[in-house]
Amino acid sequence: MPVADNEVKSSWADDVEDIDGLGLPPNTEEYKNGLKIITEYGLDDDNRKFKVVRTYKIEKRYVAKAIAQRKSWPKFGLSKEDKPGPNPATTIVSEDVSMQFITNKEDPDNKEDDPLMKLKSMQKGVVKCRICKEDHWTTQCPYKDTLLPVQEALNKAEEKKVGPPPAAAAAGGPQAKGGKEGSAYVAPALRDGGNRKGETMAMGRRTDEGCTVRVTNLSENARDSDLNDLFGKIGEISRIFLSKDKNTGQSRGFAFVSYKRKEDAERAIKTLNGFGYDHLILTVEWSKPSGTQ
Amino acid sequence: MKPLMLHGHERSITQIKYNRDGDLLFSSAKDNHPCVWYSINGERLGTYEGHQGVVWAIDVDWETKRFMSGAGDNMLMIWDVQTGKALGKIEAKTSVRTCNFSYSGNMALYSTDSTMGNPSEIFIIDVRTVDSSFSTNDPILQIPLTNAPKATSMVWGNLDEVVISGHDNGDLAQWDLRTGKKINLVSEHAKSINDMQLSKDGGFLITASRDCTAKLFDADTLDCLKTYKTERPVNSAAISPILDHVVLGGGQDAMDVTTTSTRVGKFDARFFHLVFEEEFGRVKGHFGPINSLAFHPDGKTYASGGEDGYVRLHQFDPSYFDFKFDY
Repeated sequence: MPVADNEVKSSWADDVEDIDGLGLPPNTEEYKNGLKIITEYGLDDDNRKFKVVRTYKIEKRYVAKAIAQRKSWPKFGLSKEDKPGPNPATTIVSEDVSMQFITNKEDPDNKEDDPLMKLKSMQKGVVKCRICKEDHWTTQCPYKDTLLPVQEALNKAEEKKVGPPPAAAAAGGPQAKGGKEGSAYVAPALRDGGNRKGETMAMGRRTDEGCTVRVTNLSENARDSDLNDLFGKIGEISRIFLSKDKNTGQSRGFAFVSYKRKEDAERAIKTLNGFGYDHLILTVEWSKPSGTQ
Repeated sequence: MKPLMLHGHERSITQIKYNRDGDLLFSSAKDNHPCVWYSINGERLGTYEGHQGVVWAIDVDWETKRFMSGAGDNMLMIWDVQTGKALGKIEAKTSVRTCNFSYSGNMALYSTDSTMGNPSEIFIIDVRTVDSSFSTNDPILQIPLTNAPKATSMVWGNLDEVVISGHDNGDLAQWDLRTGKKINLVSEHAKSINDMQLSKDGGFLITASRDCTAKLFDADTLDCLKTYKTERPVNSAAISPILDHVVLGGGQDAMDVTTTSTRVGKFDARFFHLVFEEEFGRVKGHFGPINSLAFHPDGKTYASGGEDGYVRLHQFDPSYFDFKFDY
């Protein structure tokens, strides 16, 4: 089949004369060496001049008489005004496509699913949702609304049985209150595990005493609860500060975890530094450069 | 290969056909002007103006003198291929869904849609002289399909004595023209037959069905010889005139499209080996389901018309001809 090439937008504007009012030179048609070259000028949407050069190869073919006769028929219908040769509005050279050969053994759709399947099977061990145990972050869990309250209720029930006796009396108060009204609001200071005296800045300082580690290279999906999970295994955490983007709630990549005991913090650094979490490798170190070691 | 995109229609393509010599390609679409193109370079020769509805089916006689088209405006029109002038027309009761010239070009058949009150009918008419009195001529044969599923696709059979019809429920029927009776009925497909095409020698018939398969039948006995399976409804199928290949084109129903990715040009024509029923190649490019496929009579190029309104002319690379199916 004869081939047509399209080339667009060459910078010639300076050497061409201004002929008609629009400032565009006339379109030309040239025949050279068996090639027909049509040059068209126009203005595009931003009022910039552009030039389109179309090259057609003129071939001579020997065909049956009937076919040759048909080639010389005049055009009719909507093509009546067309000049000889393909009209660019109706005939376009498309991009290269090639036939994709499929061998009989391969499942044709396998190509697309394979990398996804590989990733899924790889990732299975790393991220685990606490609610449904699938491979996604807890906060991304689709069953967050339904299963989470159920889980919390179950956990609370356990705590009631196992909780230390002295705390039971104090805990009984706010819990009973909460229990009575179902989901009544309990002030943070009055909740179980809350510091009754209230946290002040002065009190807050306690956590910074050399038991704090800085975690960097966190993925943006990381949440407080995930850090709690991961670092909580090392020891009791007193505070977690995860830097979050205000609008999206995604992690900015670093966090400060304060342990109740310094040995826990040390152990955290030893075990979790270089730990692979999500798709990144964590860096865990003392939060002050001059940290005790 | 660098396919040529023919952009002559604003709506989806309903059928494309090559003439017997292969130098012209006719296309019809849901807009009302069928087009004719030179298949060698994709240059449009002309359009046939006169229909006022979706042009469902087209055919051209073996001499490339007359062109026939059936449309949703209930008209079957016969045109002079060269000038685009309408020679004659017939008004039917409902939309004309199929039309075919016989092998000899002396007769033609067309079938109509079924609507409330009107059953689908098959008409055989004499087309030796087509002029203004054409519309008043009686058909040679009129077969109403009362209480039967409507005919969706038809081909002429052996020596113009038999016609084969494909129906809305997947049935294939053979009708003898001398008696007007059904001589064979085969129910291999589960859903509507979208398209039927004969092989070059008329020995095989390939049917494309909405039940996601295409089947190869013997044209005389209607034995189902082969089945080509895909996951999508098959809108059209064609048999290569020179190699043991068939091509299937299809897509999804419009309502399913939103559930799949809409990457550009994803719809493909699938090539199967005729005998082994296994897919060996795909050619992407269409932006919508493929509605019609046709091989050039010399087997070296093929054309596909899609829901996107484009007709794509492909010339096979040498790798296609060198491809040897391992067995």
